[in-house]
Amino acid sequence: MFSKEKTVVACTVEKCRLCGMETKRKFQEGDFLFTETSKCNSCNGILIIEKIFGETLNNISTS
Amino acid sequence: MNYTNIDFDQLFGSNDQTNPVMMLIWIVPIIIFVFYGQRIQLQITSGELKKGIKKLEEYKIESRNELIGYVKKNMNPKDDPTKKIDRFLDYFTIMPVNMDPNGIVTKVRHIVRARENYSREHVRSLSPDTSNLELTKIQTLLEIATSLQMIYKVVNHLFLTAKKQNNYPLILPLQMMMPFIMEEAEAMHKAIPAFKMGQPIGDGIGPMVIGKMMLGTKKESIAFQTVFSETEYAGRRLFLLKAEGPDAVVGRPGDAVQSIISKNKLDAIIMVDASLKMEGEESATISQGFGAAIGGIGTERFQIEDIATKYEIPIFAIVIKQSIKEAITLMTKEIADKADEIRAQIYEMIQDNTKFGQSILLIGVGNTMGVNQ
Repeated sequence: MFSKEKTVVACTVEKCRLCGMETKRKFQEGDFLFTETSKCNSCNGILIIEKIFGETLNNISTS
Repeated sequence: MNYTNIDFDQLFGSNDQTNPVMMLIWIVPIIIFVFYGQRIQLQITSGELKKGIKKLEEYKIESRNELIGYVKKNMNPKDDPTKKIDRFLDYFTIMPVNMDPNGIVTKVRHIVRARENYSREHVRSLSPDTSNLELTKIQTLLEIATSLQMIYKVVNHLFLTAKKQNNYPLILPLQMMMPFIMEEAEAMHKAIPAFKMGQPIGDGIGPMVIGKMMLGTKKESIAFQTVFSETEYAGRRLFLLKAEGPDAVVGRPGDAVQSIISKNKLDAIIMVDASLKMEGEESATISQGFGAAIGGIGTERFQIEDIATKYEIPIFAIVIKQSIKEAITLMTKEIADKADEIRAQIYEMIQDNTKFGQSILLIGVGNTMGVNQ
């Protein structure tokens, strides 16, 4: 029998307040929405955490 | 073989020469089912329920162990906290008598708040230096473990009583309710990792929307674990209200609205909250409506409705539909992606329902864990 197991990966999306560029990375403990994280690589603006969410990866495993 | 010449009279023994063996084969099961039918059904149903109860027991044990492990790792208590935590898990709340419902809301509020204050102070007593964020996370984990323990105890009690009395009808309501109970228990069990990591949950969409609107404004504490700020939009004065993030709290919006109305005139209240979707409804859909969109035991809703009625303030609601599991586990991408659309709908609602120079209160209702402002 095959059963679908859903694995959820937490992601953090950072957005530059100046140029609006968005980058997605894996969630790290201590990430909170709307906190400033670092400087933008492209325009030197400030990145803030725009979204934190879980994305599903479908792993098919035998049982 | 030829199947066309079967003699049914002979097969079922219904001719004159009745076959006694066939008669027994027919009659014995009928007698067994007449006298022992319910017991047989009880045995079959018991097997299914036992599996569910075993799962509930696993959830109960795992949530307790996760809580103890988390407290030991993050609070560094001087003594072993196991005994104290086991005592917390057994706490119960006796709701006020409702024979005379007059004034019951204030009584319920008093009891619920006393319980919250008590558990907060006792969790803090394990290690007084613990931050508010850790404290609220542990308090929520404690609530989850307590709820799972209570669900297991009640379900097991109903099951054992039915078995003890050999009473099949008594087990039927439990059998009918079991899938719903399991869905809720599973959701609570799956919520534990998100609370341990401090990640926003589906219920946090309201605070997420209002929290972003609060960026760059002067925030002040207006009620216990509740923040407030002011901004402007299209010539209207906007009051923004949410629980104080990133702690795992829902705040006290009722008290906050009371405090705001004592100093300001409000022309409209808009509440943004997560709402349970119906079966067949799509997740993360946005709906607009009227009335106070706020869950919980009902005391906060009562307080807000009371103020709105007294001052004749219309209450508008924007809800984001989700399942129970989505509401208390890590926020899904579909829900998070709706934040900008909700904000656009709020502005549209303000334009459509208020006039230039009026004041509007926007409340982001829900657990604000992982959501700053």
